[in-house]
Amino acid sequence: MSDQQGLVIWLTGMSGTGKTTLAQALAQALPARGAARMQLLDGDELRQTLCRGLGFSRADRDENIQRLGYVAQLLERHGVAVIVAAISPYRETRAAVQATLTRCLEVQCTAPLTVLQQRDVKGLYAQAAAGELPQFTGVSDPYEPATAPAVTVDSSAETVAAGVDKVLAALTARGWLAGDAGLTTAEEELVRQRLADLGYL
Amino acid sequence: MNRRKLAVIGLDCATPQLVFGAFRDDLPNLKRLMAGGSWGKLRSTDPPITVPAWLCMFTGCDPGKLGIYGFRNYRDYAYEKMTFATTLAVKEPAVWDVLAQHGIRSIVLGVPPSYPVPPLPGGTRVGCWLTPDASCEYTWPRELKRELAAQFGEYQFDVRDFRTDDKDYLKRQIGEMTDQHFALARHLVTTRDWEFFAMVEIGLDRLHHGFWKYFDPQHRKFQPGSPHAGVIRDYYRQLDTRVGELLAAMPDDTTVLVVSDHGAQRMDGGFRINEWLRQQGYLVLTTEPATAQALEPGMVDWPKTRCWGEGGYYSRIMFNVRGRSPRGMLAAGEVDAFRAELTAKLELLDDDCGVPMRNRVLDPATLYPVRNGIAPDLMVYFGDLRWRSVGTVGGAAGVYVQENDTGPDDANHDHHGIAICYDPTRRGAGERQGWELYDVGATVLAYFGLVPPAGWRGCDWHGGAQ
Repeated sequence: MSDQQGLVIWLTGMSGTGKTTLAQALAQALPARGAARMQLLDGDELRQTLCRGLGFSRADRDENIQRLGYVAQLLERHGVAVIVAAISPYRETRAAVQATLTRCLEVQCTAPLTVLQQRDVKGLYAQAAAGELPQFTGVSDPYEPATAPAVTVDSSAETVAAGVDKVLAALTARGWLAGDAGLTTAEEELVRQRLADLGYL
Repeated sequence: MNRRKLAVIGLDCATPQLVFGAFRDDLPNLKRLMAGGSWGKLRSTDPPITVPAWLCMFTGCDPGKLGIYGFRNYRDYAYEKMTFATTLAVKEPAVWDVLAQHGIRSIVLGVPPSYPVPPLPGGTRVGCWLTPDASCEYTWPRELKRELAAQFGEYQFDVRDFRTDDKDYLKRQIGEMTDQHFALARHLVTTRDWEFFAMVEIGLDRLHHGFWKYFDPQHRKFQPGSPHAGVIRDYYRQLDTRVGELLAAMPDDTTVLVVSDHGAQRMDGGFRINEWLRQQGYLVLTTEPATAQALEPGMVDWPKTRCWGEGGYYSRIMFNVRGRSPRGMLAAGEVDAFRAELTAKLELLDDDCGVPMRNRVLDPATLYPVRNGIAPDLMVYFGDLRWRSVGTVGGAAGVYVQENDTGPDDANHDHHGIAICYDPTRRGAGERQGWELYDVGATVLAYFGLVPPAGWRGCDWHGGAQ
């Protein structure tokens, strides 16, 4: 099992932008691309375990992300493909944590605020609008989008499959997924002709 | 977790009427597995085509979920962009990916599609016949390629020059290719550590397509007394011998599945779907082609065209919908009525002799709960696959053709392949009914004590539904 190198896909974005959905789809797709050892670190889940007790002050949010980053770093070192899905609202904190990782792909998950308010799967936007969530990211607390994310996925305009393709393409372009060279034009013609000869086309 | 080995031997196109019927007594090794195990017809996918069928078998996903409806798939609705279904198009884990996550090592040989060859942690993988040629990186680990080349010579992914009239040359090639594949398989199962083995041998499919007319008296081109009349039977015997040798190289307590992705039947001819659509006024060209040629987007008068079709063993029909395609004609509100109209006309077609063709017209929206990628708007099995679809337009040939300009036409696929399940520690159940291709992956995972990923389709043959 020593032939897989670690990497981290860091999904950042406001609540409801599709981080968990995209992360789960990536978790399905990665093994077929050779990343059999894969771990999803979901921010919501880890707040119930590793990060239990942390609140939503700036200091607690930073601590939360630093713990996630530390786990991701350990896993990456041991050859695991790690998917982090966490709001991770502060640009500076994300940059500091990602600097500790060897191969990290930052993915900005986004959607217009009006769409997020309409979706509001967890009912949080409604609570924030009612003043019941004093530190809700993007409404009553800051969210700092990435300035130069490797990939941006707008869940209001793109399918989950398209998002997965974009992330896999970015990993491919960096050479982080082995065995992922596509067919050249000449190879494609060779295969097309073979299929035609065999009657498949 | 079961630590006994499990081997899946895939024989592309192995067909039940021959394996379980006419040739049964010629196949002592398969007969032995049947006698000690369970066996039956294996319902293939819709469509019953090599790609996506093997992929569906080993991912537990239907073509809609995979977004892979054939060897080539539209990238969008802009008429032109069809891409090959390589491993890059696969977004779902296969059984060997799931097994690798649990530290179970696999050998995977020639299972389509398997190019480019993705890494298989702890395992061994060799590309399928969709690999361009032996200069490509077609193995995992990468260095395995050199070892195989040194021991077995240049790897034969498929037969060359399939449309040759030299049938002896074709027969010889298929036989030699098969011998090489099985020799390589024996080498790997005896030199690698593994728990799961899967291979697909493509030779049988090629043989059916190339030689069916010589042995089936019902075939329109049957030639009594042909010197090639025994080629298919002889090859089945060869295949059975190779399977026996491979099993002999594995531990005695290995559980074995012998499966195929679809069956085979005679082909009665080709139906020129686009010529028929032109006759009906559904497809309009800007100019009349002087001779039969492939339909190209630049030939079509798109503002007057409601749909077009693809050639192949079955036909995919795409609608030219306004707002979906650049020069769409059909309004979205007209699509359902048009689908019903076209379906009714296709189902009522007679063949060139005036006999009802028994065409089957399928709507992917009712076949697949999820339709990723670009699904066809309709799929048509002409003569329930006794006729292939021909995509060319122009020329004097008309709608029904016997001479196919795009490939061999001796045989087409059939909806049922074969399955034989032999577990030396269990009492076999003899002939079974109702097995589906999707069951294979579920059975493999259950064998190793693993729960399939969410949404995985199929039943464990030794247990219940997933």
